[in-house]
Amino acid sequence: MTAQTQIIIGMSTCNIAAGAQDVLHLIENRVAADGLDARVSVMGCLGMCYCEPQVKVIDPDGTAHVYTRVTPRRMERILADHVAGGQPRQPWIANFREGAEHDLMDKQQRIVLGNCGHVNPDDINDYIAREGYQALEKVLAQNDPEALIEEVQNSGLRGRGGAGFSTGLKWRFARNNRGDKNYVICNADEGDPGAFMDRTTLESDPHLVLEGMAIGAFAVGADEAYIYCRAEYPMAIARLERAIAQAEERGYLGQGILGTDFSFRVHVKEGAGAFVCGEETALIASIEGQRGMPRSRPPFPAEAGLFGKPTTINNVETWSNIPWIVRNGAAAFGALGTEKSKGTKVFALAGKIKHGGLVEVPMGITLHEIIHEIGGGTNSGRPVKAVQLGGPSGGCIPAHMFDLRIDYDEVTRTGAIMGSGGMVVMDDTTCMVDVARYFLNFTQLESCGKCTFCRVGTTRMLEILTRICEGEGVPEDIERLEHLAHQVKHTSLCGLGQSAPNPVLTTLRYFRDEYEEHIFAKHCRSGKCRNLCSYEITDNCTGCLICKKDCPVNCIEGARKQKHVIDQDACIRCGVCRDVCKFDAVIVK
Amino acid sequence: MEKIKFTLDGVAREAAKGTTILAAAKQAGKFIPTFCHLKELKPFSSCFVCVVEVKGRANLVPSCSTALADGMEIVTEGERIDQARRTCVELLLSDHEGDCLGPCMVACPAGIDIPGFIYHIAQGDDRAAHELIHHNMPLPGILGRVCTRPCEDACRRQLVEKDLAICHLKRFAADQVAASGDEYVPACAPDTGKRVAIVGAGPAGLTAAYYLQILGHACTVYDMHEKSGGMTRYGIPSYRLPRDVIERETDTIAQLGASFRYGVRMGKDVQLAELQQQYDAVFLATGAQKAKAMRVDGEDIDGVMSGIGFLEMVSRDETHRTGDVVMVVGGGNTAIDAARTALRCGAKEVSILYRRTRAEMPALAIEIDAADEEGVNIDILAAPVKIERGADGRLHVTCIRMELGEPDASGRRRPVPKPNSEHVRVVDVAISAIGQDVDASVLTGLTLTRWDSIDADLHTGETNLPGVFAGGDCVTGADIAVTAVGAGRRAAIAIDQYLNGLKVVGDVVKYNHFMGELKDVDRKSVEGFAPTPRVPMGELSAATRTRSFDEVEVGFTVEEARAEARRCMECGCRDAHECRLRTYASAFGAQQHRYTGVKRTFDRDVSHDAVVYEAHKCIQCGICVRTADELLHTASMGFTDRGIASRVKPAMARPLGDIDDTGIDQMVDNCPVGALTHKADSVPTLPSRFVRPTPRGK
Repeated sequence: MTAQTQIIIGMSTCNIAAGAQDVLHLIENRVAADGLDARVSVMGCLGMCYCEPQVKVIDPDGTAHVYTRVTPRRMERILADHVAGGQPRQPWIANFREGAEHDLMDKQQRIVLGNCGHVNPDDINDYIAREGYQALEKVLAQNDPEALIEEVQNSGLRGRGGAGFSTGLKWRFARNNRGDKNYVICNADEGDPGAFMDRTTLESDPHLVLEGMAIGAFAVGADEAYIYCRAEYPMAIARLERAIAQAEERGYLGQGILGTDFSFRVHVKEGAGAFVCGEETALIASIEGQRGMPRSRPPFPAEAGLFGKPTTINNVETWSNIPWIVRNGAAAFGALGTEKSKGTKVFALAGKIKHGGLVEVPMGITLHEIIHEIGGGTNSGRPVKAVQLGGPSGGCIPAHMFDLRIDYDEVTRTGAIMGSGGMVVMDDTTCMVDVARYFLNFTQLESCGKCTFCRVGTTRMLEILTRICEGEGVPEDIERLEHLAHQVKHTSLCGLGQSAPNPVLTTLRYFRDEYEEHIFAKHCRSGKCRNLCSYEITDNCTGCLICKKDCPVNCIEGARKQKHVIDQDACIRCGVCRDVCKFDAVIVK
Repeated sequence: MEKIKFTLDGVAREAAKGTTILAAAKQAGKFIPTFCHLKELKPFSSCFVCVVEVKGRANLVPSCSTALADGMEIVTEGERIDQARRTCVELLLSDHEGDCLGPCMVACPAGIDIPGFIYHIAQGDDRAAHELIHHNMPLPGILGRVCTRPCEDACRRQLVEKDLAICHLKRFAADQVAASGDEYVPACAPDTGKRVAIVGAGPAGLTAAYYLQILGHACTVYDMHEKSGGMTRYGIPSYRLPRDVIERETDTIAQLGASFRYGVRMGKDVQLAELQQQYDAVFLATGAQKAKAMRVDGEDIDGVMSGIGFLEMVSRDETHRTGDVVMVVGGGNTAIDAARTALRCGAKEVSILYRRTRAEMPALAIEIDAADEEGVNIDILAAPVKIERGADGRLHVTCIRMELGEPDASGRRRPVPKPNSEHVRVVDVAISAIGQDVDASVLTGLTLTRWDSIDADLHTGETNLPGVFAGGDCVTGADIAVTAVGAGRRAAIAIDQYLNGLKVVGDVVKYNHFMGELKDVDRKSVEGFAPTPRVPMGELSAATRTRSFDEVEVGFTVEEARAEARRCMECGCRDAHECRLRTYASAFGAQQHRYTGVKRTFDRDVSHDAVVYEAHKCIQCGICVRTADELLHTASMGFTDRGIASRVKPAMARPLGDIDDTGIDQMVDNCPVGALTHKADSVPTLPSRFVRPTPRGK
């Protein structure tokens, strides 16, 4: 086969949202029409969602160039200059070579995301070409489930879904409880606002998850599995189903795998988007066709799970670590991370962050490194105020604590949780009371309604927070809120209720002055709570007219090169003027 | 069988493997509350009121679904647990709609089971109604005539058309039993050997005597008058309250064993200290007998008298003739009674002078109307400033006109004198009826309030002197009779506790959930009640009645009473006496309004023949859902929606009448609150026999 130029376009949900579909059409049309000597294929997400769509052009000599923010117009030039003309369009090429140089990649260590952007998720050959299914072959050849569990346990891998329970131990319980029928489940019900680790993994490298599950099933003695994935991830589901079919065809799944007597079938179960179904007992109920309501544990799923059978349930990221551990050994994995948190962790950087996307970093890295060195700080240029770690179940960590080393235990000490890895970055235009209200509104709406404290308690807390944000807060509200928060945290049935108060408790812990300011001074310093602030233009104003033009209610007066003034009676305090001002002339009073 | 070793509140125990903490605690005789657990069903853990502490666990754990483990250290009591349980109940209450008891019953100061007795009358069982009334109030003949009826003001029937004639029905039941010649005399507990002195034979004193006698304590009732009844006899004319009614109800109390000593005046004929020595306990119910002064020049000259003085005089001698022209000052019931009495004593012209307007008059509207009909001239916005004996020998009363200014502390607009409006009115008799004060100064040793009333606990009647209790007007100041009855009953319960050497806590106060004032009540709650006019009370014509002291109101006929009783909507909850939400709310001292916000709205499903589903009362315990699923295998009930909007609904959110109702009675029986009830069950009545209330431990 003669060497050919390869054009590989990122076709993940994030790339498509950024416009990749149009670019792909263009490439396909042009390659056919112009008779270009190039092979076109697709890849998943590289993790740099902030600069998508991305197209990778690999020269016949093997040199790869990643083009970012590719529009159809840019693509035409790339095809003409680079593919046809052999001259890469340097300015559009990301200033990192894969796996090197740039901080963004340099600080990362990719175990789970290792194949993302390097394999065509729809082609099992790509996966196999990158050591795919070698781990499964290895464990089947060794045929020693006990040793396998020992290896996973020794690696120190802890559940990446949030709770951080030892994966090896979980497997051991399941193996010890195994009966006539055992199940394995992959929890892909990713529901935190601002989290998209699982989606990207499934869309970009579905075979990795399948291989991890097959290894786990062999370890615990299961022969059937469900991947519970929310129906809002149609691309992930489609790629998974294709991958399952391909793997069965190749004998990596199905009856008598790789000539052994180990059989393993995988079903994809689509969830209807209830956040609480990410809780394992609710998830199991949902697969069984019942209302997704958590139940009290014990019994744990390892004793009595799906259809009453012993069940091993891990999330996408946990399963995705398994093949690497099997291939490279527990010691190699254990060499990464901190004493009690081994390996790497995938985080989804979202909110006011410059380099939004997915990162995979070794445990023990500081928040500062993630947010400033990898994430590039805020996209607004304003100072970072805090980061919400762990989604609506997590907590807000203030900027002054960014030297925190990320591992399960350190994060828990702050009042936040590792969670599945959502990181929502906030700048100083974010109101911390409003943030607590936002997340609590989410958990309150997503409560299954079963237990009293979660159903009614979170509602009452939300009502207090809403009152405070609207300027109706009374002095007793803080105490009342704190009391309820502790009650709900310690007296709820499942993780949803037990963690729902975390955003409230952490903002009360680190930003109590903002609560007090809302209640006593009737002031919101961030300019977010409309009843509690006003916007003013300072002498920094150059009279550039931009804010005047962008004001949705036309309440800004002023001529060119003259200081502008806001008509306070007409102002709706939307904050647009502050956002667009290039001279920091708009301030919150 | 494998045994698990654990400790429960510090005591080492053993139980079979698989036993839950809840079951183990029950075996050990420990109380753990639960809504969602039923032993026939699998553990569910939705309510979280059953939480306990397990050493080593940060969170409280639901005892209903947590199995014992070896070495488990369980704590079932303590501040943290109490607080969690109370918060749990209060959160449920904040999302609960309905009334435990009918608002009429709550409004009644004596707590009469009004829906209960009306139910009996509607069913034709007047004696049962009469006996049930006696559970809270031993003077229905008296109060059935003179009560100011706070219950009727609260009656929800007003949302349909007009309040129910509760008071008339109470009188009806009492009159029916009296007419039968077979008076209701309850059984008494065996004599305890304890003796109680009761001072005052008015409503409070009579009531206390009644219940104390039932409880086995021997009472001696002292009164300075020559007969019983207190203000009901000496302050209310006989055309409103025939004296034989008072005699009849006093006789019943005497039949129970109480003895009466009349004509004995406290501080003069007998001292409090003597009573304390001679009796095991003393109940002071001396009333508010001292007429308030008008603070007007000349009010103590001859021919000027107080309303109660006048009524008391006429009460003793109804043949008394008063002057031709009578002026009554005041706007309360006493003023109206005095004016109407003056007419019956031969006055040709009677006027009532009141300084505010008719709307502010504290007297009952029907009494004001009756006075109007009888020809009393109601002269509003006027007040006397001076009274003199004129040269013609008659009283010359200088009056001024008033107008209404800003509202005062009572919320009523303050009357202010109109300049240059002085004028003189010539009358033969002037009667001042502007209220009464308490004069407890003769009761030495007692702590008094700054209004000279007795400083006593309003719930138990305890005073600063051990064994001395007080209640009624002498504590509250002049108030209505039914309030005094309530005080007398509560004091009897407290005195009984005192005499038995128990902690004096008074009557058991149960939690009551309340939908709110009339204006706040969801009108959906009265849907389905066809407007039916209130049955009017027959009365003597205005022309004939002023010539005698014959009773003006003639009472309901049997047909009228049945028709009126059928208007009752039976407000209150069918499950009020068994509801676990109410029981725990009472036990944990929960408050209805500690947490407020969005809550369930009234949602009653009456589509099923036999069962009502009131979703606004549901606490989402899921017992009906699980009963249907696990025991009946019908899946006829299920959960819908999420968060605060989640609900238990009949399958596929259909009306209850459309579902597979196999075993629905079992679902109704298992419901821990009043969400699922049988239509055939009426609002439950109290036991009619008064027994000693058992105070709850917590």
